[in-house]
Amino acid sequence: MEYLFTIWVIVTLNFLLPRAMPGDPFLYLSADEGQEMARFSEEQRQYYLEYYGLDRPVAAQYLSYLSDLLRGNLGYSLYYNEPVSTIILRRLPWTTFLVIAAVLLSTVFGTILGSMSAWYREKWPDKFLFFCLILLSEVPAFLLGLVLLFTFAAGLGLFPLSGAITHFASYSSWWEKLLDILHHAFLPVMALTIARVGGMYLLSRNSMTTVLEKDYLRTAWAKGLPKKRIIFRHALRNAMLPIVTRVFLSLGSLVGGAILVENVFAYPGLGHLMREAVMVHDYPLVQGIFLVVTICVLLANFLADLVYRKLDPRIGDYSGIHGG
Amino acid sequence: MPRKRFLIVLLLAISLSLLLFGCGTDQARDDQKPGVAKGGEQQQVDIIRLAGGDWGYPSPYAHYPRGPGIFKMCLIFDGLLERDEKGLIPWLAEKYEIKEGGRQYLFTIRDGVKWQDGKPLTAEDVKFTFEYASKYPMVSSYIGSKDIEKVEVVGDRQVLITVSEPNAAMLYNLGLTRIIPKHIWENVDNPKEFTKPEAVIGTGPYRLTGYNKEHGTYRFEAFEDFWGPRQRVKVIEFVPVSEEILAFEKGEIDLAGVTPDVLPRFQNDPQYKIVKSPGFWGYRLLFNMGDYPVLRHKELRQAIAYAIDTKELIEKVARGAAVPGSAGILPPDHVMYNPNVKQYKPDLQKAGELLAKLGYDKLDERGIRQNQKGEKLSFNLLVSSGEVRLAEVLKEQLARAGIEIKVQSVDMKTRDARVRENKYELAITGHGGWGNDPDYLRERFAGRSRGGISPSASGLRGYNNDELNNLLEKQRLEMDDQKRKQLIFKIQEILAEDVPEIPLYYTTGYNVYRPAKYDGWMFMFDHHSLTHSKLSYLERG
Repeated sequence: MEYLFTIWVIVTLNFLLPRAMPGDPFLYLSADEGQEMARFSEEQRQYYLEYYGLDRPVAAQYLSYLSDLLRGNLGYSLYYNEPVSTIILRRLPWTTFLVIAAVLLSTVFGTILGSMSAWYREKWPDKFLFFCLILLSEVPAFLLGLVLLFTFAAGLGLFPLSGAITHFASYSSWWEKLLDILHHAFLPVMALTIARVGGMYLLSRNSMTTVLEKDYLRTAWAKGLPKKRIIFRHALRNAMLPIVTRVFLSLGSLVGGAILVENVFAYPGLGHLMREAVMVHDYPLVQGIFLVVTICVLLANFLADLVYRKLDPRIGDYSGIHGG
Repeated sequence: MPRKRFLIVLLLAISLSLLLFGCGTDQARDDQKPGVAKGGEQQQVDIIRLAGGDWGYPSPYAHYPRGPGIFKMCLIFDGLLERDEKGLIPWLAEKYEIKEGGRQYLFTIRDGVKWQDGKPLTAEDVKFTFEYASKYPMVSSYIGSKDIEKVEVVGDRQVLITVSEPNAAMLYNLGLTRIIPKHIWENVDNPKEFTKPEAVIGTGPYRLTGYNKEHGTYRFEAFEDFWGPRQRVKVIEFVPVSEEILAFEKGEIDLAGVTPDVLPRFQNDPQYKIVKSPGFWGYRLLFNMGDYPVLRHKELRQAIAYAIDTKELIEKVARGAAVPGSAGILPPDHVMYNPNVKQYKPDLQKAGELLAKLGYDKLDERGIRQNQKGEKLSFNLLVSSGEVRLAEVLKEQLARAGIEIKVQSVDMKTRDARVRENKYELAITGHGGWGNDPDYLRERFAGRSRGGISPSASGLRGYNNDELNNLLEKQRLEMDDQKRKQLIFKIQEILAEDVPEIPLYYTTGYNVYRPAKYDGWMFMFDHHSLTHSKLSYLERG
């Protein structure tokens, strides 16, 4: 119920916000530098506004949007000229793939490095890692992307310059195609991973440091438990809680997080699409993308709840569902 | 040994991830061999790759309203006329006649033209196209719903179009409207959503053989039964690029636009050829004369023109890749450009004299001019976020003449909407199309306007010059090119004197390509892109 209410509020905001922006989708007075526009007459503008029902009162548009939405119809993109659901579904997997790969890798590396740091606290490996990762975490992802692009793709020629697959290629097997996709995704995933690993590192370092000083660990040592068991079962498991939260929260920013990196590598994801849709005031597409993002965030919250209960026995059945 | 364990785990994890991701092989593109010249024919090339990106399904109704979308559609669809370096040339129409002082156009349709599905092109198709396009405007629309009175088929191969009123630009508009096949479109009543394979069947030199929206790729193959000049490029592929110049250097694409900063990389190397684009994309400084009476003073606008140093703007903002705006509006590369109109060389003294004449002869403590009543020369300048640099340099320049500018930066659509609704004082907008038929001067400066790029749908408010209006009306009715040119020359003189708006500069990009691979590139007489010309890909007579 709480989730439904959240969705309704967000759907309404998604509907109102794009329309609050000045201008309409068919107003073309100017273009980006060097870019040519189609000749668009005032008569044509009126024709399209009428065609898409944008000349009706906002309340009427809202009602028909809601009723379409209930029937699972996200509408028809004004600029891209295709059903919104088709556009989003074709791009969502690419963005999801990039972000999930980056979140996984950055979590794994961040946790390992963070734990190492905590283990060697105040000794040279800790100081060294701390310095490097703080430095890396301050570099924005798109800049990292550009650096990677110039060195590994342009300079060394190890990776393709752009895109998600080799175009107009025919593959002899699915294996070959998968390799091609991984090959193209490597640099964008690396850029995102490196940009995120710093945050994960700091979090796990902190969390691990706190846990290592806890009484129950001293007890564990005193019991003479094997080191492996102490680190993984007692320390890491408890240190994982804030990390898990962070992972799910960053899953929520799934679409937005990859925008800049997608732009750098001309990767066919949702981020680039969202920027374009807002720029050209493509109302149905903006609404559609925001809705998908909303659902992603809510889904991530829901998953976080489930995983929490598994990890932390203290959060039991009584905790209920955290609202979005 | 916990220390060692951790290091080992770390090393393992890193090497594992490298193994997983790093083992893709570099796929060399060895199919890009330079075309081989055959006998006396012009060199032909198997494949040309260009920077892609999604510009929509290339039917006349489904592509996006931007240049790259328009010209991809034009590879598939022909007009009755086509554009070469100098002007309009016969295309699907082998000849045409203008009758009744511009009320009627008689086009003779070429014989033996085939649609890409094998059916022959008929005069009926042409008639159908104009009727259909009047009912459903094409994305890049040249004709409005009331422009055409009737279309008749005369005999076998002729089409007589009667327009509702004579207009010198009508030949261009009729000639460039894309002809679509009746047998495919006659039952389509939602053309914008009609994106079946039949929607991209035209008579043009290329067939669409691949399109991927999310990756932004297109593949065009030469149409074997094309009626016209032989295609010099057999396949055109559009692939997405991240950095155009890198992609060009690595041979992934065969032509790239370069900014002046990286030009030295390609200069003095015989492997490359650099071509400068004509300046048909320009920035305009607009005055809202309707709501701000002070801007109605010609002397004030002239003083502003004298205070602006376009050379400095070009150096600082466009990095030298532009030509200064002509006070007569039409850019120097325009076929009807008048080189002898009054130009405003930067001259602060003249600017000062003109402003003093208007009564703004005192300076306040900040150096801003004011008149007896204490009214200051201070204006808000509305720009979009991309033009802030331009606006800031302009602000400094005008400050030297005692005119204060407050820059307001908003996003592009907001700026456009506010200009459209006359909610601005001064504004900068930028767009292409300055090479088009000069009838756009009428759309901009006379009361009767169809909208489009003119700032206000109702024409320019607060400005009226009867002589100019008469001339603008006269040139519209003048079907003789030479006589019309005289009128357009005179119009530019008046505009240069009146300064109803100030063209700041017209950008001229640079293009680089490898002539050994392909050298057929050309500019259409009114357009700034090499890749957008259909004739760039065809054999030339």
